[in-house]
Amino acid sequence: MMGDIWMTLLGVLVTTLLAFVTGMFYMGASRKITARVQNRVGPPIYQNFLDLIKLQAKDTAIHHGWMQLLGPAFLMVSAVGSLMFIPVLNKGLFFENFTADGDIIFLLYLMVFGSLGMALGAGQTGNPNSAIGVTRGLTQMVGFEIPWVMAIVALILQYHTTNIAEILEAQHRSGVWSMFANPYAFIAALLAAFGMFRYSPFDIVGAPAELASGPVSENGGKFLGTMMSSHAVFAFVKLVLYVDLFMGGADNLVELVIKTFGLYLIPLTYGMVNPRYRTEQAVRYFYGWPTLFGIIAILYAVFY
Amino acid sequence: MNSLVIMLLIYFAGAILVYAANKFSAVLRDVIVVLAGLLPVALFFSIPAFEAFQFRIAGFDLFWDLGSLAYIFEALVVVVGAASLVYAISYMKGKKNLGYFYMNFFLSLGSMTGILMSQDLISFFIFWEIMTWSSYFIVVFNGYKTNKIGLTYIFFSALGAYAMLTAIVMINTQTGSTMWNDFFIAFAGMSSHYQLLISILFIFGFGVKAAMMPLHIWAADAYSHSPMAYTATFSGVLSKMGVYGLALVMIKLALVSNHFVFSQVIAWLGAVTAALATIYALIQKDIRKLLAYSSVAQLGYIITGIAVGTAMSFMAGIYLAVLHGLFKAALFMVAGAVEKQAGTTDMHKLRALIRKMPLTFITAMVAIIALAGIPPLGGFVGKWMLYESLIGSNHYFLVIVIFFSSTAAFLYAYRFLYGIFLGQEEEEFAHVKEAPLMMLIPMLFFTVLLIVTGTFPGIILGPVANAMNHGMGFRGVQWEMSVLTNVYGDSIHLSVISTIVVVVFIVFALFLILKGRKGTRYVTTKDIANSGEPVRPEDNYHFALDFYKPFERAMAPLYRFKMSEIYGNISDGLVSFFQFTRRLYSGNGQTYVYYVLLFIVILLVFSNQLINR
Repeated sequence: MMGDIWMTLLGVLVTTLLAFVTGMFYMGASRKITARVQNRVGPPIYQNFLDLIKLQAKDTAIHHGWMQLLGPAFLMVSAVGSLMFIPVLNKGLFFENFTADGDIIFLLYLMVFGSLGMALGAGQTGNPNSAIGVTRGLTQMVGFEIPWVMAIVALILQYHTTNIAEILEAQHRSGVWSMFANPYAFIAALLAAFGMFRYSPFDIVGAPAELASGPVSENGGKFLGTMMSSHAVFAFVKLVLYVDLFMGGADNLVELVIKTFGLYLIPLTYGMVNPRYRTEQAVRYFYGWPTLFGIIAILYAVFY
Repeated sequence: MNSLVIMLLIYFAGAILVYAANKFSAVLRDVIVVLAGLLPVALFFSIPAFEAFQFRIAGFDLFWDLGSLAYIFEALVVVVGAASLVYAISYMKGKKNLGYFYMNFFLSLGSMTGILMSQDLISFFIFWEIMTWSSYFIVVFNGYKTNKIGLTYIFFSALGAYAMLTAIVMINTQTGSTMWNDFFIAFAGMSSHYQLLISILFIFGFGVKAAMMPLHIWAADAYSHSPMAYTATFSGVLSKMGVYGLALVMIKLALVSNHFVFSQVIAWLGAVTAALATIYALIQKDIRKLLAYSSVAQLGYIITGIAVGTAMSFMAGIYLAVLHGLFKAALFMVAGAVEKQAGTTDMHKLRALIRKMPLTFITAMVAIIALAGIPPLGGFVGKWMLYESLIGSNHYFLVIVIFFSSTAAFLYAYRFLYGIFLGQEEEEFAHVKEAPLMMLIPMLFFTVLLIVTGTFPGIILGPVANAMNHGMGFRGVQWEMSVLTNVYGDSIHLSVISTIVVVVFIVFALFLILKGRKGTRYVTTKDIANSGEPVRPEDNYHFALDFYKPFERAMAPLYRFKMSEIYGNISDGLVSFFQFTRRLYSGNGQTYVYYVLLFIVILLVFSNQLINR
């Protein structure tokens, strides 16, 4: 019994560390690739680690209230919490963590937990741009959640389970990745992922070129550091979730890195050549082709 | 004496006593309010089983007994009713006509108890009418736009009541009995015309109270303009009487299994209600209005869950009904506390009350998390069961509509918290204090309840499963204290989820809050990074106006659809029609002579036909 608890704790720590390191390198890689596309040299790929060390070393002088202080903790709950319910590798190859409870609909809700908590923290700063960013982010979420949920419903109907590990198992049993078994669901989910990853043209929340304030400027030191780390972990969570749901998971870490990074490149490169949408344009985008593919995906899962 | 009758007597005697006591002393009145509110709670939870009560009056058999489904709703009535009454003492302090207010409050609590224990249609209808009238008197209590708001409410309620009365008369002529049970048994043998007509009439009657589209337009105004202490009960419990009736009619009459299209129509009406009410909730600027629209939306989920009618969706519907009673009562109490302390409920005026009313904020946050259905609080359980049951019973497009409204609900959830408690502070609200203790106690009570149900939903699911197995005709409905299982056999352990969420949160919260070498220092929200342009003391950069303008632009086609406009057109048409008919009565004697002449001419023209017969 005691050994179980230590194994569980070890699993939690190793998984979190893996997600954190991978996510940080992906973010570094994205900066490097973007720089090269824009004909710059760009920072080294480990730059994010340096940034994080610097941030952790800094003191925070001021705050606007306790909700602001707790905001990044909510983000972490969402990132680390969802990581616990997603199988990192195929069955039996990695720590199981709590994948037995890894229900996909539960996960959908757990994944918004963090942004809403952070939104409260951002709201307390009193910075108007924080609230503007939140309204944009929530509006965009109403957009991309619809095709994303349609893709998930199609998968549930196809495999008769809501457990992520079971969906992964079912793909192995049939020998076909679900991105080929139901390509429409994959397309809908992939288009939704553009909004989820918030790269251009869907970077309307941070809007880096026009809003030089908001939560990023109100939080410093370890608060900003925690936000950055949770971003890294969360990016990994989303990528692994996509790989598990659509690409048959991975048998070892190398395969996982190849699959996730390949997936990561899609929204990243799409964003490099696109300007930013306005919020309502983003929502309309998601209610166009992605939703159509989602409807086809559900019908395909039902009738085929 | 029969314990059901005692409970009923306490409420009705409370109504009379409190009105009388108000003439003598305010303290005596408040004591009676608290006693008569809390006594039924003690009585209800201390008695293991209620015995039936039967008597005969004016040639009708009246039969009172608390069924297993009614038990759940009665628990809601006594608990939320008592909490609202305790809350009302502080909230209503300083207002006039309090005897009248409390009398109607007790009358509506008593009538709801009566509805729930009526096993015959006659007393059901009588209590239903008492409930409608007592709630109407409180809706118009504030005296604000009574003509419009009160009239709309009573008009729709009366329509619903007459529909129900018609159905009751039909049942009596068909079966010769006025018992619910005889009706349920005889229903299968009726002709399909009668089956359809009676069900539609009943659903019309209950749909009004459950604010089902297109009968919902009274709800937003009536909820937001009654005193908040009553709205906690009005929206939290009184609307559930419609839900209770719908559940009886949909399930007991086997409308779900025998009339597939019928139940689909109701389920879709519920989903559309939820979606449209949600998008209207998020453009409101008054928090009471926002909550009122949100109530309509939540009732939409409940109606969908009940109308789909599988074991799990029905369970989800009833569970959500109970939970909505709890969190919406808490939220309306928050709105009342803000109204009382800050003097306004307009989100364009309110600013950053979080540091002034921290406990109210915590109540609001917990209730909002439960409303949005975010784990690990109770609302998540209901949402999860609803989705899984809809997917499991092949309602895949229905689930998308529900999901849309539930995602859009995050928007108004954030708007509510931000609009009241967050943003930039302002001098105008510097004097605001935390709500008085008597208001905080009920609010914090609901907070604790919502947190507990998140990990142990079995507290509510147990009685619901019991009601479904005994009385509602479902077989072998399983439940567990903190494990949920869907139709595919996958389960989630809520205790595991709660533990992970709480542990991760505490770890990082400690990491963030434990101070380093130097502590952080609080500065006002005017001291912000603003692109190098400091906020001057006289400026306020609070963001409240057109909060979700991008959403409105994106959803412009949906906002064009307004049920109240359709009703407006109908009533305009009727007005002009009656204006026209009024011209016939010109008041001039000559004109009437013409009418008489015209009548004689018509008689002469048709005389052949008339005489030959």
